[in-house]
Amino acid sequence: MIYYVYDGTFDGLLTCIYEAFYRRENPDDIVPMDKLEENFLIQKLFINTDTEKSAKVYRTIEEKISVESLKRVFYAYLSELPKSGRNILKYLRLGFKIGRSIDDNLANDVVRTIDKISNKVTREKHLFLGILRFKMLENDILYAALEPEYNIVGLLAPHFSNRMSNENWIIHDVKRNVAAFYNKKEWVIRDFTIEDRLVLHEDEEEYEEMWQAYYKHMAIESRKNLRLKKNNMPMKYWKHLVEI
Amino acid sequence: MEVLDKLKVLADAAKYDVSCSSSGSNRSNKKGGLGNASPAGICHTWTDDGRCISLLKILMTNYCIYDCIYCVNRSSNDLLRAAFTPDEIVDITINFYKRNYIEGLFLSSAVYKSPNYTMEMIYQVVRKLREVENFNGYIHVKAIPGADQEIVERVGHLVDRMSVNIELPTEESLKLLAPQKTKEKILKPMSLIKNSIIRNLEERKKFRSSPKFVPAGQTTQLIIGATPDSDLKILRLTEGLYKGYNLKRVYYSAFVPVSNSPKLPALKYPPLIRENRLYQADWLLRFYGFEAKELLDEERPDFDLNLDPKCDWALRNIHLFPIEINKADYNMLLRVPGIGVTSARRIIQARKFSSLTFDDLKKLGIVVKRAQYFITCNGKHYGIKSMNDELIRSKIIDKTSLSEGAIQLSMFDNHHSNQIGGLLT
Ligand code: SF4
Repeated sequence: MIYYVYDGTFDGLLTCIYEAFYRRENPDDIVPMDKLEENFLIQKLFINTDTEKSAKVYRTIEEKISVESLKRVFYAYLSELPKSGRNILKYLRLGFKIGRSIDDNLANDVVRTIDKISNKVTREKHLFLGILRFKMLENDILYAALEPEYNIVGLLAPHFSNRMSNENWIIHDVKRNVAAFYNKKEWVIRDFTIEDRLVLHEDEEEYEEMWQAYYKHMAIESRKNLRLKKNNMPMKYWKHLVEI
Repeated sequence: MEVLDKLKVLADAAKYDVSCSSSGSNRSNKKGGLGNASPAGICHTWTDDGRCISLLKILMTNYCIYDCIYCVNRSSNDLLRAAFTPDEIVDITINFYKRNYIEGLFLSSAVYKSPNYTMEMIYQVVRKLREVENFNGYIHVKAIPGADQEIVERVGHLVDRMSVNIELPTEESLKLLAPQKTKEKILKPMSLIKNSIIRNLEERKKFRSSPKFVPAGQTTQLIIGATPDSDLKILRLTEGLYKGYNLKRVYYSAFVPVSNSPKLPALKYPPLIRENRLYQADWLLRFYGFEAKELLDEERPDFDLNLDPKCDWALRNIHLFPIEINKADYNMLLRVPGIGVTSARRIIQARKFSSLTFDDLKKLGIVVKRAQYFITCNGKHYGIKSMNDELIRSKIIDKTSLSEGAIQLSMFDNHHSNQIGGLLT
């Protein structure tokens, strides 16, 4: 068994795709370095990220398949799910063969797998557009912590840079230790951990208390339905909510 | 009274208005401003009853000069009363919004002093939000029946959505439970908003820069179960509102008993299943090409609580089935129980590549348990051999019945259109 191993970046993954086609090889999986498990039977091939090669693959997907398809590949990559590297390769092989109509071919297993994964990522992203909670810090920076299933910080940032264009904010994935930083002009993503305690703005508690009260008072007792609530908002997401 | 206490009182008073949607507007942020609207709408949390919170939904005040019997805020009710100042509402809205608690504001009000006075207060809030705070998030306000056209129009140019709640579906019911209201008073602002929207669209064709008027359209709410009105009456009204008034949504609110007036029915629980059936039927009108008269008639004026309206329709029209999944057109696929908008689209897409088997249908997310009785795959029938509607009905009801599941489905908002489409299968 051959595994291609890359540095964990999207460019790295696309370089692997390039090499697989170029070398006419069929690796059994494509895995990021930090997810690699020791296994005696696996032959590991480290692929160096090459942005020229990845750019070629990027363009080819756009031209030969579709922009939508490129988005699905990117979302599957962000899912960080096991075997997603392999699925992406299979999906692209098929895509280069049948072109832009590939995503209609839902009776095909690989197409459906990618469709499912990218839907899951899309759904989680959409959920977090709503359930992300900012706290106002002492220095007027809005800070939000989250622990998403998938690596979606980069998908959230554009939404908040439009919406809160005149604020300074940080969206911090405390599980992956990465954060998006925005300074009223542009956003960047960097590795990030917090050592000290955050100092909140003096008004912060007051608004949190109001929000909690509002939340409680919105529920209609005679319609109580906790199962429906959990269906809509699974408990794994409750930790950073102010109101629960 | 502290702002926190006002918030408790005036949130409580607003919560029976079920609409909380933030969809339908694509207002963008301005330079140096705060907020924008997301056309698909965004839910920010879900309450213990499973409903989504998208907007800060509050009343300006719950002091009311009217005495509608079904309403908690009626003047004769002994109730803690409060009133926000415009500045208080603006401050809460902005600070909730920055923390991403909400998509915007849904401001309603009881009728304080007079309809015009109340509408003017509402105007003060939205003007300050838009023009002083440069707030570009979603705003939905109530148009107060009886307020002057001029004020309603001023407000309409600043907000995303407006609504007038009809609440009671017939004139007799209004007379009984809301004697100070009349059909005319309610419908007048609705047609006013409708006409202004149409005029505005035409203006904007000529002058792209003229400000939008209520871009997310208008909605209304009907109370279910406070009066003896049948589902047929309600659904006909709904159909008329969609066709004649271009409404974006009609919401249904199962009546929650708030008084023991002898004019009100004695209900132990709000009629949630009935409410759910109406939402399903509403969905069939808007997205599945059904008409009210196909779903109900004078002989059968109410929905079967045991079975969803689409399934019920299919069983009453069993002669149209089974249909061949590899041939039927989109509109017919949509009429098959177990196939929703998304799955119908997926079938059409996938069968271009190869003819679909029964297993493929499962993979595409079709509810085959339900659909199997009504379809064939390549000529083969996978349900029971018979096309006897009574037999199929008994098979299907066994599985759904009046379980918790039915209630589960009962509350939703329109952000999850796909989800709801799925529910209707
Ligand atoms: S006018 Fe509105 S708030 Fe006042 S009693 Fe009637 S329904 Fe309630």
